Amino acid sequence: MSGILTVVDAHKRFGGIHAVRGVSLALNSGELLGLFGPNGAGKTTLFNMIAGLYPPTSGRIELASRDVTREPAFRRARAGIGRTFQVCRPFRGLTVAENVLAAIPPGSGVGDDRARAREILDAVGLLPKAEDAAGSLTLGMLKRLEVARALALEPKLLLLDEPLAGLTASETSDLLGFIQGLKARASIILVDHNVRQSLGVCDRAIVMDAGAVIASGSPDTIRRDPGVRRAYLGESAA
Amino acid sequence: MKVERGRDLAKITWGSLAILACTAAMAALPWLGVTSYVRTLVYYGAYFLALGQAWNLMSGLTGYVSFAHGALAGIGAYAVVLALNADLPMVISLLIAAIAAGLASLIIGVTSLRLKGTSFTFATLFLQELVLLLVRKLPFAGGPGGIVLEEIFPLWLPHVLMIAVAGGATLLVLVFRRSRTGLRVLAMRDDEAAASAIGIDATRVKIVLFCASAAIAGLTGAVHGVFASSLFPNEVFSIDLSIIALAVPLIGGAGTALGPVLGAVIYVGLREILQVLAPNLHLTIVGVVLLLVILFMRDGIAPALGRLFRLKDRRGQVPAIAEVRA
Repeated sequence: MSGILTVVDAHKRFGGIHAVRGVSLALNSGELLGLFGPNGAGKTTLFNMIAGLYPPTSGRIELASRDVTREPAFRRARAGIGRTFQVCRPFRGLTVAENVLAAIPPGSGVGDDRARAREILDAVGLLPKAEDAAGSLTLGMLKRLEVARALALEPKLLLLDEPLAGLTASETSDLLGFIQGLKARASIILVDHNVRQSLGVCDRAIVMDAGAVIASGSPDTIRRDPGVRRAYLGESAA
Repeated sequence: MKVERGRDLAKITWGSLAILACTAAMAALPWLGVTSYVRTLVYYGAYFLALGQAWNLMSGLTGYVSFAHGALAGIGAYAVVLALNADLPMVISLLIAAIAAGLASLIIGVTSLRLKGTSFTFATLFLQELVLLLVRKLPFAGGPGGIVLEEIFPLWLPHVLMIAVAGGATLLVLVFRRSRTGLRVLAMRDDEAAASAIGIDATRVKIVLFCASAAIAGLTGAVHGVFASSLFPNEVFSIDLSIIALAVPLIGGAGTALGPVLGAVIYVGLREILQVLAPNLHLTIVGVVLLLVILFMRDGIAPALGRLFRLKDRRGQVPAIAEVRA
């Protein structure tokens, strides 16, 4: 397996707050990495540094061996990082289809791009809603639209920021199945605060607390880790 | 999707044909025996439409509000008069005017459009005042006394040119808005961070649009410079023109091609009536109209009419105002 993402000793400070403390990780092609931790653990800050929303205070980020540490978000998107947002951010003035079409890199011709947007919407189950206003979708559909928009970039790396937050049990189950299927298209980092819910679909996982990594390894390793069990799963979880 | 594509093409085609037909008809007025009063009304309608579309191309599509379009038009007016007085041909002079306004826009665009929020709006207000101060100090621009165009051109020339600029700007907004790039600009207007996450270089897009929009404003001002012949800095760089440039699309519907057309017609109509009834209050009353439109029609008259007709089509009857606003 080849390396898609490498983060080396990344730190992020916001004034006096040290939000991310020396995190290093590597992600291989076709791998689904879970990034877990409670609110304020620094996972979204790390996620946003990888996506390019802000640069790390120190450290290095490489995408497929290319140093992207100082590159802005739009360049990282063009380089192959697709992302979703914790709070859905659809382009509300556009239709569902236009949301996806806007994300397809220009160049292959409008006709082909519209056909591709249609395929992507079909893949995420939103084709019947293609002509609806994006703002009219339910939360579960909005989460799918965000994934569809990210997939339109043909990403090497897909960053999913709390895609399960606010979903019903059946929506959660559907979306987790769908996310697992996406591994064929891209490597994935799945951020969530609920380890129990998401660990089942991950190949590996990292658990953060207070800006630092406190556990990493296979799902079984994470489940057995006493610190993680105590903090996030509860002693009764096996 | 194919249906949508077909609908888009039909709208662009019919819209373009309507714009071209109206432009041709309005441009032919000087030879159709209409009174000079009607010609002047049409000229001013085209002037405010062109300026409104210039503003619309930047502020209507991106949401970044400019107060500099009056000043940019003024730069165009001064540039064309100086160029024509230096015996340059008309086409070259108009080109210089558009480029001068485009370059002026870069001064504030490159710095303030990297930032979000109101920085750009304040920077445009600063440009408006700065240009007035500068022009009043420049001896070759005539100082506070202004400058006069030495050659007198036939009145039909600025009339035809202004109609062409207004028609061209409207056509540009119509086609651009429905293009792939236009779609990405509308996405950026909705959410800049999300637009960056799909690979849109928001700063570059805003700078290019502001520059293009400034060039159209400069061209509009240049044609009006040829029409007016005498330029006085306090009038040319008055903030009034910048307010009209944004009021016209906001009343009609910012971000649409039709909005500024409706806005220009309403503004010119109001101006004519108010010049008789309340000569010093016309901008105040335009402000009140703008407030009423924002209060009751949210995004302008054209989108409100669009919603009204869609509901009417669906139900076969006119909906209540509350439904239209919902």
